[in-house]
Amino acid sequence: MSRPLFVLLSLIWIAFTGEQVRAEGTPQEIISKAIAEEDAEIQASQIKSLLGKATPEVLQLLRQWKDGEIYLYTDAAGSKTVVIPEGEKDSEDKQIFHGLSDGRILNDAEGKPLKLGSSDVESADTSSSSRMAIKAVMDMAALLDTDLKRRLQAIQNIGLEQDPEKLPELKTALAIEKDSSAIRALNESMAFLEIKSDDPTVQLAACRKLGELQSIPSQDVLKGIIVEASAGGRPELAVAAQASLEQIAVHVRNVNTAGTIFRGISTGSVLLVVAIGLAITFGLMGVINMAHGEMLVVGAYTTYIVQNLFGEGLHLSPFGISMNIPGMNATGWLYNSYFIVALPVAFLVAALVGIGLERSIIRFLYKRPLESLLATWGVSLVLQQLFRLIFGASNVDVSSPVWLSGNWTVNDVQFGWNRLFVIGFAVIIILLTWAVLNKTSLGLLIRAVMQNRSMAACMGVRTDRVNMMTFGFGSGLAGLAGAFLSQIDNVGPGLGQKYIVDAFMTVVVGGVGKLTGTVVSAVGIGVADQSLQQILLSPVLGKILVLVAIILFLQWRPSGIFVTRSRSLES
Amino acid sequence: MNTLLTKREGIGFGVVFFILLVVMPVAEATKLIDPFTLNTWGKYLCYAILAISVDILWGYTGLLSLGQALFFTLGGYMMGMHLMLMIGKLGQYKSDLPDFLVFLGHTSLPTIWKPFYSFPFALLMVILLPGLLAAVFGFLAFRSRIKGVYFSILTQALTYGAALLFFQNDMLMGGNNGFTDFRTLLGMDLRSPGGQRSLYLATGLLLLCIFLFCKWLTITKFGLIQRAVRDSETRVLFSGYSAANFKLFVFVVASVIAALGGMLFVPQVGIINPSEMNTEHSLEAVVWCAVGGRGTLIGPIIGAVSVNILKSWATRAYPDWWLIILGVTFILVVLFMPRGIVGLPDQIKGLLNRMKRKPSETAEIPTAIAP
Amino acid sequence: MKRRIFSSLLLASAAVFTAAGAKAEDTVKVGVLHSLSGTMAISETSLRDILLYTFDEINAAGGVMGKKIEPVVVDGASNWPLFAEKAKQLLEQDKVAVTFGCWTSVSRKSVLPVFEEKKGLLFYPVQYEGEEMSPNIFYTAEAVGQQATPAVDYFLANGKKKFYLLGSDYVYPQTTNLVLLEYLLSKGVPLANIGGGFKKDESGKIISAGKYTPFGHTDYQQIVAEIKQFTAGGKACVISTLNGDTNVPFFKEYAAAGLTAETCPVVSYSISEDEFRGLPAKQLVGQLGCWTYFQSIKSPANKKFIDGFQAWLKKSDVPGIVKEGRVTCSPMVLSYNGVYLWKMAVEKAKSFDPEKVMAALESGISFDGPGGKVTTQKNHHLTKNVFIGESKADGQFKILKEFKDVYGEPFLKGTFKAK
Repeated sequence: MSRPLFVLLSLIWIAFTGEQVRAEGTPQEIISKAIAEEDAEIQASQIKSLLGKATPEVLQLLRQWKDGEIYLYTDAAGSKTVVIPEGEKDSEDKQIFHGLSDGRILNDAEGKPLKLGSSDVESADTSSSSRMAIKAVMDMAALLDTDLKRRLQAIQNIGLEQDPEKLPELKTALAIEKDSSAIRALNESMAFLEIKSDDPTVQLAACRKLGELQSIPSQDVLKGIIVEASAGGRPELAVAAQASLEQIAVHVRNVNTAGTIFRGISTGSVLLVVAIGLAITFGLMGVINMAHGEMLVVGAYTTYIVQNLFGEGLHLSPFGISMNIPGMNATGWLYNSYFIVALPVAFLVAALVGIGLERSIIRFLYKRPLESLLATWGVSLVLQQLFRLIFGASNVDVSSPVWLSGNWTVNDVQFGWNRLFVIGFAVIIILLTWAVLNKTSLGLLIRAVMQNRSMAACMGVRTDRVNMMTFGFGSGLAGLAGAFLSQIDNVGPGLGQKYIVDAFMTVVVGGVGKLTGTVVSAVGIGVADQSLQQILLSPVLGKILVLVAIILFLQWRPSGIFVTRSRSLES
Repeated sequence: MNTLLTKREGIGFGVVFFILLVVMPVAEATKLIDPFTLNTWGKYLCYAILAISVDILWGYTGLLSLGQALFFTLGGYMMGMHLMLMIGKLGQYKSDLPDFLVFLGHTSLPTIWKPFYSFPFALLMVILLPGLLAAVFGFLAFRSRIKGVYFSILTQALTYGAALLFFQNDMLMGGNNGFTDFRTLLGMDLRSPGGQRSLYLATGLLLLCIFLFCKWLTITKFGLIQRAVRDSETRVLFSGYSAANFKLFVFVVASVIAALGGMLFVPQVGIINPSEMNTEHSLEAVVWCAVGGRGTLIGPIIGAVSVNILKSWATRAYPDWWLIILGVTFILVVLFMPRGIVGLPDQIKGLLNRMKRKPSETAEIPTAIAP
Repeated sequence: MKRRIFSSLLLASAAVFTAAGAKAEDTVKVGVLHSLSGTMAISETSLRDILLYTFDEINAAGGVMGKKIEPVVVDGASNWPLFAEKAKQLLEQDKVAVTFGCWTSVSRKSVLPVFEEKKGLLFYPVQYEGEEMSPNIFYTAEAVGQQATPAVDYFLANGKKKFYLLGSDYVYPQTTNLVLLEYLLSKGVPLANIGGGFKKDESGKIISAGKYTPFGHTDYQQIVAEIKQFTAGGKACVISTLNGDTNVPFFKEYAAAGLTAETCPVVSYSISEDEFRGLPAKQLVGQLGCWTYFQSIKSPANKKFIDGFQAWLKKSDVPGIVKEGRVTCSPMVLSYNGVYLWKMAVEKAKSFDPEKVMAALESGISFDGPGGKVTTQKNHHLTKNVFIGESKADGQFKILKEFKDVYGEPFLKGTFKAK
């Protein structure tokens, strides 16, 4: 074909298909061009030209683009090159880059590889239109993706877009699909597209199918169909849509009930994790430790420090003095394991702070429990302000390791990994605490001292030391809890204050001095809180009702669920 | 201890209240001290009333209530409702309704608001509502013999729940913003120095009355039983007294006292909002008692005033460090001054005597008050 | 003995109050009233920092009308009666010419009567609900029409059909959501497509729209599950007026539920670059913000501002100031603009008298700030540019759209008619 003719044909083709740009060349070249493109529409169509050509390599590039791992380099002459970093960063934080379109390494004037730092290049941005185009390409590719999660997401996205032209692709995918959940999703998505069909029977069947599939996303579509059908004089379609909606409503109720129970247990587990340290220091030792919340914060900040030591390093300015500690710059699984390391460190640091507190203040107050409340409150004020002066008043960022983000969905009920983790975490902590108290010699001493301090002292137990160890243990548990809280909440100076009332309540309701009681009350309060929230549709009213219930409950059982029986009159 | 005041005490208190009630207002009227100082002292005196209410519960009856800030705030809210209606058409929207109600799209005054146009009714509610709440809560708590730490934690829960409730905009109590922008009370301009001075005087007088009333209460037989409950409730029970009823009565009285303090607090600071119900504020009041010296009636007043002076000064002079200064002070007071500022002279005297006599004698900190 | 203690205390307090005596004649006292402790310190400390920087910058350039600015920094401690006390102290004892301060609506409400009575001047820099116009306050803040409605326009243009309203339970979110409800209805969005729930009074009039959580709420499982179902049908977005601190648990839960900016974007009115420092930015790529300034604005004025602030931080000796990883954000820039507008107004009025300065401000003064030109209006608000940005992995915002010279109108409620 002669060149002019080709150009002419191309132009006609462009005019005919309405596509403004027909990108050519290798996928690398197309992406490279798209990144450099200023006009959002042309950029989107350039990306879309990759539809159906998406090799894993292309997808990898698109993903890198989206994540900001592709850069634009502007040379001295002002021309821009799309570049990708290569190899490791050197000591000056610089590295070699290669061009995306040709794969050639960037050279300086003398022909040596050019090393660039992060300030020399700018990260290639995405806009919402380009991201949508990227998503469309990825969705199509993802329909055939080997990873089930990505495949499911893609199937769902295509369904929600309701573009009937994509029906054949879904059918092809269904023919070769083996996984049952993906087959269900494909059927759902196909029904979504079929409901847009001009054929009344297909539409009716799709309507019924959505009901049978108990498809939650289809509710809006079905409601729309009812309106349309009633207006268009097609009662049978409206009836079918209505029936499907009712089917789905039943399903939604079941999902909500199951979800609420799970959420309740997870909320209870958070409470339990937070309260278990207090169950030791307050429940067993009788110290009203208002600084318990700050022990949580110590744990949370420790997690922050460990995370940054694994990552980019720690930059702090305690009391206005700059301090930089280089990090390990770990990535991948090593970085993600920071949390595992942070847990014992948080325990140790909080335990040490607790021991320091016990030695300096609390040991003078064992005979004056109500005054321990005041002194520890003073400690809590001091610690809060110290956190502010060391770490700044703002919250700090603790990111979740990959294995704690995401969720596991069964029949539309979601189980977040972090929530499943906290349930497991609570179980392990309880078992550990139980084992320490009941299976070790330290535990024996702790119980002896707590039951009767002077008697234990007479028997030769060094009560002073035991007190110190017990308080350290309780504080360490609080530190562990703080490390976990960093995964679901703010890490800042005020973190502890949010949990202190709840923690005390949990211990008191459970019965002071009884671990089993704390477990039962934590889970009970958690489930009650989440159920009331679900029923009243208001998080605040739910919480208030729980408080009222607690007050009335203590009325009925003044010493909590499990009572420590004692012959002492004034206990 | 069967007279109201010993001669020495009488002179002391006379001088203190003379300074508070006569010298300071006159000094302000003659521009020796500025209105701001007087107004700030008015706030301190309200806090002193709150501290007394904590003290007759904690210092005299052994009940550590973390809910006194709730009663204080409730009293303030009742007064605030009246003050809000007194703004009249002077508000942002030039409407008879309080601004925040217009804000939320209300066109008529909710029924519970209507009686608050009357000052006597508001005054009655200042006493009635906190009193009733205290009576119901106290009845439930004392009947089932909840005491010690449990009582503290329960009152804390009550306060927390009430704060959550008041934070809601649906409560029609102004939500988080609470009530502000007050103009007049009984026809008196609240923002003028004269109005502020009258309020200060009212606060001082109320404090004096409450002080004398509590003093009288503690020297009667009632006061003896009160302290007996503190020291050993079981023995009081075995002696045939109903400890629960005594505690309930003291709790209600203390709550009404706190509410009266709150009532005068609101027009002086010009705002009432639910964060005043915070447990922290109750705890702070407890600390004032501890610092001043609990188990005495002058202690809480000294504590409330001195801690708040410290706070006013430190938040201006050392904005970054004042929490640490305050916290450390509390710790030191608890550890080394179990009887507070009031007990300090005796403590020093005792210490000096002991040093003079036998240096080897074990240094036991005098603890007149059982935990 | 007791008397002696008592009177010495009285004396001590009197000494304290007069200690803030006069300094050299060539300075002008300026109040800084922010919470440096308590729950709000998290947001307000940055404003204190930027104010001190601005004063130093102005002083280095010769001060205001030849006088050096002498800042009086006080801590409101997130305690509203204390805010009122501090305001009185600044006005009566320190006799400051102007005060920059407050963040929450309640703190502004608590000092408002003080400023009106003592005829002071307050610059208020943080987005708020409007419905207020005090003669003694100048609002450099974003009004609802400079933040909330532009973001909704953006969503509508992007084909969003369903809107979930979520906020912290206080006046700013409540009012903003009521205005947004009116606005959405006026744009033809049916009531059924607005999520979060409604509350009606006896006559059936909607008095509250959206879902509200208390301050310091930590458990967003239930709400995120609800959003997940609401948005299951696609084309949905969340409009969040959650207060800074609660955003972290919300977004952590949001990400864990598999909701992303692609499936359901969230526009947050209270998250600026500063709040982003405590958020998992990588999980939030593509979520939207709407402010009158972003750090990523490319302009010489902005570059000068950012570089100047960073350089100042390095050598600052303010105790406890955070020097690492600092960013600039809209409330900070609005504080900065406020100081310069005040300076220009003083120079125009040739007086530090608050009344004359306010008159100068009302006459319309323009300043080329880091976020572009701002102009004072007669109604004590600012005309300024509004930007919509989406968050990037580094916690910065990429600017998607700019609305030029948006007029600041505090009274928006009831101005939109439903279709």
